Amino acid sequence: MADFNVSSREDGEVSVVKVEGYLDAHTAPDLENEFNKMIERKRHKIVVNFSELNYISSAGLGVFMAYVETMREEDGDIKFSNLKDDVYSIFDLLGFPVLYEFYKDEEEAIKKFR
Amino acid sequence: MNQFFTKIVNGSRKEKLEKSLFFLLLLVLFKFLFPLVDNSILIIINDFLIYSTMGLAFIFFNETTISKSENPISLVLNVGILSTILFFITSLSSVIFDKIENIEDVNGFFYTVISLFISVTFIAFVVYILSALKTLYFLREKLVTENYFLLMLISLLLASFAGTLSKLNTDLTFIEKTFFVVSIVLIALNSFRVSWIAFLSKRQKIFLLFISIIMSGLFGFNFAMFSETNIIEQIVSNFSPGARVFYILIMLHGTIYFGIVFFTTLFHLPTAGAFDQKREEITSLIDLSKLMTQVLDFKELADSLTEATNNVCSSDSAWIVIKDSDDYELISVSNIGYLEADGISKSLLNEFELPQTDVLTLNRKLIKIKVQNDEKVYVFQSIIIAPLKVHNTISGYLFAAKRQKYKFDRDEIKAIGAFADYAALAIENAKLIKKSLEKERMENELEVARNIQSKLLPDENPSSEHLEVDALFVPAFEVGGDYYDYFKLSEDKLAFVIADVSGKGVSASYIMAEVKGIFEALAQVITNPKELLIKTNDILGGSLDKKSFVTAIYGVIDIKNGILNFARAGHMPLLICSEGELKEYLPKGIGLGLNFNKKFNSNIDNMEIKLNNNDIIILYTDGVTESQNVDNVDFGLEKLKSVIEENCNGELSNITKNIFKEVALFSKEKQQHDDLTLVLFKWKN
Repeated sequence: MADFNVSSREDGEVSVVKVEGYLDAHTAPDLENEFNKMIERKRHKIVVNFSELNYISSAGLGVFMAYVETMREEDGDIKFSNLKDDVYSIFDLLGFPVLYEFYKDEEEAIKKFR
Repeated sequence: MNQFFTKIVNGSRKEKLEKSLFFLLLLVLFKFLFPLVDNSILIIINDFLIYSTMGLAFIFFNETTISKSENPISLVLNVGILSTILFFITSLSSVIFDKIENIEDVNGFFYTVISLFISVTFIAFVVYILSALKTLYFLREKLVTENYFLLMLISLLLASFAGTLSKLNTDLTFIEKTFFVVSIVLIALNSFRVSWIAFLSKRQKIFLLFISIIMSGLFGFNFAMFSETNIIEQIVSNFSPGARVFYILIMLHGTIYFGIVFFTTLFHLPTAGAFDQKREEITSLIDLSKLMTQVLDFKELADSLTEATNNVCSSDSAWIVIKDSDDYELISVSNIGYLEADGISKSLLNEFELPQTDVLTLNRKLIKIKVQNDEKVYVFQSIIIAPLKVHNTISGYLFAAKRQKYKFDRDEIKAIGAFADYAALAIENAKLIKKSLEKERMENELEVARNIQSKLLPDENPSSEHLEVDALFVPAFEVGGDYYDYFKLSEDKLAFVIADVSGKGVSASYIMAEVKGIFEALAQVITNPKELLIKTNDILGGSLDKKSFVTAIYGVIDIKNGILNFARAGHMPLLICSEGELKEYLPKGIGLGLNFNKKFNSNIDNMEIKLNNNDIIILYTDGVTESQNVDNVDFGLEKLKSVIEENCNGELSNITKNIFKEVALFSKEKQQHDDLTLVLFKWKN
């Protein structure tokens, strides 16, 4: 099975989560763990950088749906950046751009939080 | 002759009894006919009958004694009781009655009855004793020593027969003497077959020590009493002089045998404890390996293991902890409190840098632990920590502790190591079983999900003069959650839905069932596709969990006028092939369940399309376009479009077949991981 990797860094009060590889039902728990850690540390402003993500399944989409409410209630959000075209089209087809903010560039997304 | 013997020996118990009783009856008749045996022919017949009866009785008794070979002590006790009875009869009667002065004078009916009774009893007892001795002789013997015993039997018979002969002719006494001596030598040789003693427990050995010396004495007395003249000896001797010799020899055999048994037991006694321990160890290992295959519950097995550790290794307490991610879980204790064992093992595991790969022995160990806020101090003479390891990974530890006096010896430490290995294997077993059960459960669940799904999908496609319908549904092994359906609204109006529930398996199939219910109900009430999807989203808001969503296209076809009106909720675009040209229709719309308020409602549009003659509407799920080949490349929308375009003018079912063929060819080396659904409509003017 193709690999998945998640890493994060902090930029002020914004946390940048970088996802790489294939996000599906098997790898989704890794991302959930990452979000759980963020919530524990009360970091609710999150930018997810998709530049290295090649594939996302419905289970992967479900992770964002599950956590976005919590972040928004705490005055934070989950914003997406640097999506590849084919990954973006999956989000687009489902209507995610109506509900989430998508940016071409990570910096742009971080700036939106300030 | 040989055949005759095997027939007797292989016969049933009842047959053997019948045969010996038959000869006994002959003997009784003979004795009543000829109370005084005084010529050689009668003597020969007399002895023939007696030896035949004895031989058959011996074969019959063997059945009983061999069946008791599992318990040699009870066999020895049987012999002891018989020899005691013989002793009392002989000694009491010789005290009460005077010896008969002239044996030829007594030949009345009464004497015959008494003589028969006593002689038969004595002979029967003696034959049983011989049979018991034979069974003991062969007990636990590994070498083939059958011949020695057979030789002894023959010698005994010859000596007895010679005894009868010497009565006939006193010149022949030397024959009797010779065989007598030979018999004694063979008896002495055979009496050393006492290896069964080694396998008795310590208690049994002590018991045997006492009864064997008593029995040796009793046999000796019996032997001595028959060597002199007394009334019983006279009766038996008169009955058959050979039987007397036989009796004497067996008594002698008993004396020697139990004498040797006594001394052997005496010498075995000091090592009896150690022998018991070894045997306990072996038996518990065998029991444990039996348990391993029978018991699925690891806890039960762990209890047997800690118990066995205490029994075999003479430890005071034993317990097992299992590694549970970072922590240790106490799963079985024997002869120690749960809290104590937990505290002690935690303290020890912290103190020593475990995991150790070898058995660790600690001597004179003082451990302080807190049990319910009280600090307690435990002093152990010796503690053993044995790792439970399989394939070099450690899954837990077996602890064994001694509080007093002695430390563990090397054998005990080895045995604890062996128990730890068993525990490790059992844990591994339990894990494997759990895994396979889980797999089975999952497969059963999927079976249920597939059943639900196949029941939710329509049985047949509606078709009419103006509208041709075709559909293809290929389920994935893990149910994918695809769903499609038709609702006939009126003569001219057919509604349809295609949906894909996120997630897989049973949960997806339940959502599917719910979605079907909603669509089925709403289709009859709401004709506007957009309004219908908004309402569907509202209803799903109450039941869908945060992570799940459903994509769908709902549409209504006006069959008479060729008008398609539909709305999309996050689903794949609707395709229409018109006059050889394929167009993609993608009105805006968010997936069901992604948002439950205004945003969903204000971001969905109806789309109305006027159909031309022979226009084909194609609906599909992402299972089609996301079918992957070995290189993880998607089949893709472009490929789908080109397959459709190529077949646009043919039969409707041809398009379906060709799409499926192309997808199957493309992803032939990869398992289909999502459901694959296609629904096609062809409108004819």
